[in-house]
Amino acid sequence: MSLPSIVFALVALPAIVGAILSLFTQATLRNAIVVIGGLLVAAMAVATVATFGGADGAFFGLPGNMALGQTLIVVDFGLTAFVVAISLKHRRVLAPILALAQFAIALYLEVAGRLPEPDPQRLFWVDRLSMVMILVIGLIGPLICINAIGYMRAYHRSSPMIQGRRTVFFSLLFVFLAAMFGLVVSNYLPLMLVFWEITTICSFLLIGYTRTDETIGYAFRALNMNLLGGLGFGVAIVLLSSQTGGLDLAILTHGPAAGALLPAIALLAFAGITKSAQMPFSSWLIGAMYAPSPTSALLHSSTMVKAGVFLLLRLSPAMSGSTVGYLVAFVGLLTFLFVSLVAVTEQNTKKVLAYSTIGSLGLIVGCAGIGTPELAWVGVMIIIFHALAKSLLFLVIGTIEQRLYTKNMENLDALLSLMPRVSALFLIGISGMFIAPFGIAIAKWTAIRAFLSVPGPAGAAMILIMAFGSSLTIFYWGKLLIKILSARRQTDYERSIENRVSRYEWLTEGALALGVIAATACVGLISNQVVGPYALTAFAAAPRVFLAIDPAILLVMLSATLLLPFVAVLSWLNPTYDHSDFYASGRSANVGHVMGAALGGIKRVTLRNYYLDGVVSGGLMFRTGTVACGAVLAAMVAASVVIR
Amino acid sequence: MTPAIYALLFVLLAPVFGGLLAGIDRIVSARMQGRVGPPLLQPFYDVGKLLQKRTRQINPIAEPLLIAHLGYMAATGALLLGGTDLIFTVFVYALAALLLVLAAGSANSPFSFAGAERELVVLLASEPFFILMMVAVCKVTAASTFGGVLASSQLVAVQLPGVLLAFVVVATIKLRKSPFDISISHHPHQELVSGLTSDMSGRLLAYVELAHWYESALLCAFMVLLFNWSVPLGLLAFAVAYALEVLVDNATSRIKWQLVLRSTWAATLLLCGGNLLALFVMGR
Amino acid sequence: MSFFSRSPWILHYDGSSCNGCDIEVLACLTPLYDVERFGVVNTGNPKHADILLVTGSVNERNIEIVRNLYRQMPDPKVVVAVGACACSGGIFARAYNVQGGIDKVIPVDVYVPGCAARPESIIDGVVQGIAALELKHRMTA
Repeated sequence: MSLPSIVFALVALPAIVGAILSLFTQATLRNAIVVIGGLLVAAMAVATVATFGGADGAFFGLPGNMALGQTLIVVDFGLTAFVVAISLKHRRVLAPILALAQFAIALYLEVAGRLPEPDPQRLFWVDRLSMVMILVIGLIGPLICINAIGYMRAYHRSSPMIQGRRTVFFSLLFVFLAAMFGLVVSNYLPLMLVFWEITTICSFLLIGYTRTDETIGYAFRALNMNLLGGLGFGVAIVLLSSQTGGLDLAILTHGPAAGALLPAIALLAFAGITKSAQMPFSSWLIGAMYAPSPTSALLHSSTMVKAGVFLLLRLSPAMSGSTVGYLVAFVGLLTFLFVSLVAVTEQNTKKVLAYSTIGSLGLIVGCAGIGTPELAWVGVMIIIFHALAKSLLFLVIGTIEQRLYTKNMENLDALLSLMPRVSALFLIGISGMFIAPFGIAIAKWTAIRAFLSVPGPAGAAMILIMAFGSSLTIFYWGKLLIKILSARRQTDYERSIENRVSRYEWLTEGALALGVIAATACVGLISNQVVGPYALTAFAAAPRVFLAIDPAILLVMLSATLLLPFVAVLSWLNPTYDHSDFYASGRSANVGHVMGAALGGIKRVTLRNYYLDGVVSGGLMFRTGTVACGAVLAAMVAASVVIR
Repeated sequence: MTPAIYALLFVLLAPVFGGLLAGIDRIVSARMQGRVGPPLLQPFYDVGKLLQKRTRQINPIAEPLLIAHLGYMAATGALLLGGTDLIFTVFVYALAALLLVLAAGSANSPFSFAGAERELVVLLASEPFFILMMVAVCKVTAASTFGGVLASSQLVAVQLPGVLLAFVVVATIKLRKSPFDISISHHPHQELVSGLTSDMSGRLLAYVELAHWYESALLCAFMVLLFNWSVPLGLLAFAVAYALEVLVDNATSRIKWQLVLRSTWAATLLLCGGNLLALFVMGR
Repeated sequence: MSFFSRSPWILHYDGSSCNGCDIEVLACLTPLYDVERFGVVNTGNPKHADILLVTGSVNERNIEIVRNLYRQMPDPKVVVAVGACACSGGIFARAYNVQGGIDKVIPVDVYVPGCAARPESIIDGVVQGIAALELKHRMTA
């Protein structure tokens, strides 16, 4: 098959699977379709990448050179109508206004004939970045869908009050994947906007899955913020429609943008910032944590938020060296700093994962804004490693939550003795997020090196943010690790907990864990074959090596990759626990952490993590970050107009 | 000599250096208190005895974690002298420090847990400084390895007075000295103050002590980075700084963790951050 | 000779004493006697200690504590009973709540007499304790 046809097949396949899924309500049949469909999507993604090979990039149009015609405006009308209808049903005002405004823009462009006819041969653009995204979406996405089979079964068993709509749920997961594929291969901006809006609406539906007042509120929050970003995207299209080739992403981002293009670039960056949940738009992602865990895994690791940073990385060469770019970078880096401060005060493990997600995305945004080949390299590396590790973490915390009925970090006490194998997976995920030699830490290290050559106070500020932000990361992950690695003697009931984890969950989470390890082992290969060449092509820079891995570093990396899970398994095999015999000032401390107290009483030992009470206030930090990043964002849009 | 030999020498000789330093420290402290103090080789006797003693473990994870702590601490120094990127070395150093926290926390007992959390706080307090210090050293010398910094014609400490001052403040944490020794102290202590090791016995404690010797040698190597003109100069500077630490240790009392965090972050931000800002503004 | 004789770490536990012996134990650490010269460290944690130094007698309330502390000390270990009360219950031996000397609860290796025991005799007791420690190490090693 030729590259264009296989790409179309890739976009169409999940959409077809989604459509088929919406027709079947019977559980066994649905599960089979999810598994087979998921595997097909993964195979198709791999086939696409294999077909693409080592090329720098390719452009193509619709099959048979069909023109887009009125397709986009019709789809746009459908999406707008849907938003208006569902908003009326739930009596919301803001969402329909934003959606109608965007539709009005599209209609104006169409009716007034302002939209120049696109080059039918350049509607789609695939390059190495697209391929990275296709692999991330196409390999991780289906695993999450398959994992959801086991998770949703346990979910509805434990929450019988929630009306099951699993048919819609699975259908949406696949449609989401289709929209993401479409988004990362689009070159014509109005086309990309349509896929962009489809992901917004799918995420809205997935977040509001349980249809309680609470989740509906969060779903509308996500919808509002993302529609606002979409509106920015729309206005950018209006501004660009008068420029020759302005709506062609590849031409637009070919190099540093001319002054006249900057306002549009700024608005596109604004859209990317809303989608990737940067401050001041972080609250939609936090609210989305109330959705079922596979939703969180899909939205916040491999798709949705990654669409935002994908667009920003695309824009990176255009923003390079401009004030707009610097300000975009500061939105990301300040977000990284402030959400890390919030994360150290957070007890809800899922929310810690959410803040960590926003922080990692902030790093990518920071890299994209500066726009150098090194930092683009860092950004893509973080995309890959973050997607793997974070999807694993979200799925694992979902599995734990369904078995232990808690998301609170404090209640994950002695997880290792309750769920040793799940703990090992958890440890791989956490290690992947921050421990020195894994991909993200490597990326952070490279980022610090690259910020070193940013001149003036901006460079110093960036390095300060990196230093403090990274340290905070160690703190909140360290706390979680202590809780997991601690151990106590378990009861017979507790010993049986892990047996109730479904095989769907074992297989998918195991595969992701292997993925984290494999990606770490292959970091040099990934860098030299894919990410490095991408960065050089995107910035038209001279060939060079990004990651000079000397054997010592490789040794440290591989040993650390396997350290924690290995140790965990080791202790799981070793039955000689003596947890009762800790030092308690001479008091007897026995099984179940009960201690003798004064006057013959007994006291239960409760150990609570430090949350830096009295030093860091989570709420205050969130508000401060929101205000600060909001100000920088406003300055960014203003600067794009003022500084030409 | 090649960097690989320096790395090997560090692995072999750092414990000797660290152990002797601890011995001198104990004698000097004793003299400051009007006592004679133990023999110079006392730290070696202690570790020898701990290795001979029976070890009782609460959680079998602790031992591999502590071995890894020791291994990574040695590896940090070996990587540093072996010519690995300075900033990467700091990342490995943080991993080594974190492993000690995890080993203590795994006991899941009140004092160990409190010790682990407090150690995590001091890790948070000290980590930004080490990243910033390495960045500043790289910025000044335009080198990225230990050998490169030593070969530079710039005397780093002259360009980085703020970093040097902040180093003396933050090294107090890593050297386990008052007023920042809130999780473990050089002095015989118990319960909350030495929570970190409360449930470690025998060889586990010996690993912790050995790792600390490596850490002292590592900090000395960091000081050599700042006084890069000659190694003896760096050693002298470290000796002066260490003597100051011992004096402060004997003259001050322990403070609360909140104050530890605030004071070290303030020092890092003002002294180190200010220094870095000046470097970037002056475009060096 | 093993390292035990050069590095005896002590755990000091005060049973129901009048604090006279405790003052003398602490006096051993002062500049006048400075037992750190012999590598002695007052650890305060049974898991680190080699020698359990007990002052005062055992009573109903602290039997459990003494047993736990002794149990939590890793081998080899010795117990030194300091002062008349620790050796036999002393003048409190007939009190309603007192069980007697430390040897009623755990095996004692060295008895240091005196009321209160002098620092010199405490140091002498520790030195004899070290010999016992050495012996136990050789027997188990």
